[in-house]
Amino acid sequence: MKIQKQMQQLQLQALAGHRELSQFPSQENAVTIAVSSRVLFNMEKEQQIYEQQGMEDYIKYQVEHEAEPFSPGPAFSFVKALEAVNTQLRELYPESEELFDVVLMTNNHAYVGLRLINTINHHKLFIERFCMTGGNSPIGYLKAYHTNLYLSADSGKVREALEEGIAAATMFTPEKMTEVSETQLRVAFDGDAVLFSDESERIYKAHGLDKFFEHEKAHENKPLDHGPLKGFLEALGKLQKKFYGKGQRMDCPIRTYLVTARSAASSGTRALKTLRSWGLEIDEALFLAGAPKGPMLEKIRPHIFFDDQMFHVEGAAEMGTVACHVPYGIAQRVTKKGIMDKEFSPAPK
Amino acid sequence: MLIVPWSLQVTSRAVFEPGADDGDEVYKVGTAFPLLQALQRVNKRLLEENPDESLLFDVVLITTNTQQQQRSSSIISSTRHYGLDVSRFCFSSEEDFVESLLKNNVQLFLSADRNEASQASQKGVLSALLDQHSASCPPEQLKVLFSGDAIIRPDTDPTPASRQGAQTFLAQLGEMRRRFGAFDSPLSIVLVTVTGGRESCGAALRTLRSHGVSVDEAYCLAGAPRAPILSLLRPHFLLSDGLGGLEE
Repeated sequence: MKIQKQMQQLQLQALAGHRELSQFPSQENAVTIAVSSRVLFNMEKEQQIYEQQGMEDYIKYQVEHEAEPFSPGPAFSFVKALEAVNTQLRELYPESEELFDVVLMTNNHAYVGLRLINTINHHKLFIERFCMTGGNSPIGYLKAYHTNLYLSADSGKVREALEEGIAAATMFTPEKMTEVSETQLRVAFDGDAVLFSDESERIYKAHGLDKFFEHEKAHENKPLDHGPLKGFLEALGKLQKKFYGKGQRMDCPIRTYLVTARSAASSGTRALKTLRSWGLEIDEALFLAGAPKGPMLEKIRPHIFFDDQMFHVEGAAEMGTVACHVPYGIAQRVTKKGIMDKEFSPAPK
Repeated sequence: MLIVPWSLQVTSRAVFEPGADDGDEVYKVGTAFPLLQALQRVNKRLLEENPDESLLFDVVLITTNTQQQQRSSSIISSTRHYGLDVSRFCFSSEEDFVESLLKNNVQLFLSADRNEASQASQKGVLSALLDQHSASCPPEQLKVLFSGDAIIRPDTDPTPASRQGAQTFLAQLGEMRRRFGAFDSPLSIVLVTVTGGRESCGAALRTLRSHGVSVDEAYCLAGAPRAPILSLLRPHFLLSDGLGGLEE
């Protein structure tokens, strides 16, 4: 019976035109990035129909326009850059499964499935795995796929994922999108409450800036606790080392940035020492000492930027950077005044 | 969860048109119980939408084990006791049960016994194996799972009759699903493709659509292990290459 099944399996593979094993990396070895349909593609019009006219009209519209591909969304260039890295990794390590694996993780019903598949084909994306949960929560599936990073337009789902220990962020569409590299993946992180825990931010919020500086100086040699995206930085580091191993350190196809409101002269030291204690490297650390992040990010041109404060996310998006909100830590307790932290300047990072 | 204290094997079978005779399959009551409840719930909702609805699940229980047949009255009273909506009870010998399935135009044969399902399938009866985890499946929504890799390779179906049976079943299942909206449906149709990439899944979606079935949830695994996904989906039964069932 078992042999029969194996024969069937082989037949199946032959019939389905089964691709090279390296093109379907296995979960344990790959860096799995799950993206929702609304961040990968521009589905604004359809979203509006859903919100204003309801599910049935939404589905009808999607099916009627099945042959029309969606245009790219904010995560599109990020995914293209992931694929560019994969191409370069395959050239250097043809047998390896240590690659990026992009999974489409959507709440949509499978009625929308064919339009999504047609769109993936149209844009020549290499997405072979997807989950269309038909309204059910994607969280269980994120765990089943050992997801290293989850990007969605839905902050509720992102919060759920974070609670389950999965690195996640809510992605926003910038008004304009600055051109980014097609060959080098650039990922920018805020420090506190993203790579690091929010412990220092709590001190700033409770006791003010001076107390914050004092505390950071006094605890300079004590590593900060880890934040929700530390694991993702780690995963990027593992892939970077594969390029270093082949002599590609200077022009590595993956580049990471720390963009923090901490200052180089004081509070920044603890951040760098923490990273070192974790055995993690970051390519560029930018200590802004409270200056706005938008202009700096515009110079760096990352494919993606993670911050726990909406103030910074919005500032980055205004200047054309694809910015994602990590709804973690003390910064999420919004004051009734509205936009957080605009009144405090500089913000401590 | 009610577990019948005696280890009787109770067969159940889903039919779509009342009045048609059906063959039966044998299950342990514990395993099939949530499935029967889910089937009943679908019927209840169908009748709520349209009190004159004729496209309903018709469940028949079959028992082949002679020992159990002697306690037939217990079977009948148990189903009544648990409020199970069974329209017919059938007692048949082990050698003849497939014949009676065929004679009675059984549309779907469900069994927890792989051999029985296999036998029926080989004679052209659409069969599905009940998951050993079916006992813990939620009764609120009937989840029917199609394994996509089987859909796009019809040449491995055992007989033309079985293929025809599958097509009829699909058309009626699709019809039944259309009685409900996208939200809050008591019936959900799930597609999982295991080995192929998105093209395989797309092909399976199109094939099912051509048979009148719109899929609610679709999972394209592209070689990823399916056990974690299946344990999340918890389908009541899986339609695969005529045999149904889940691999270990």
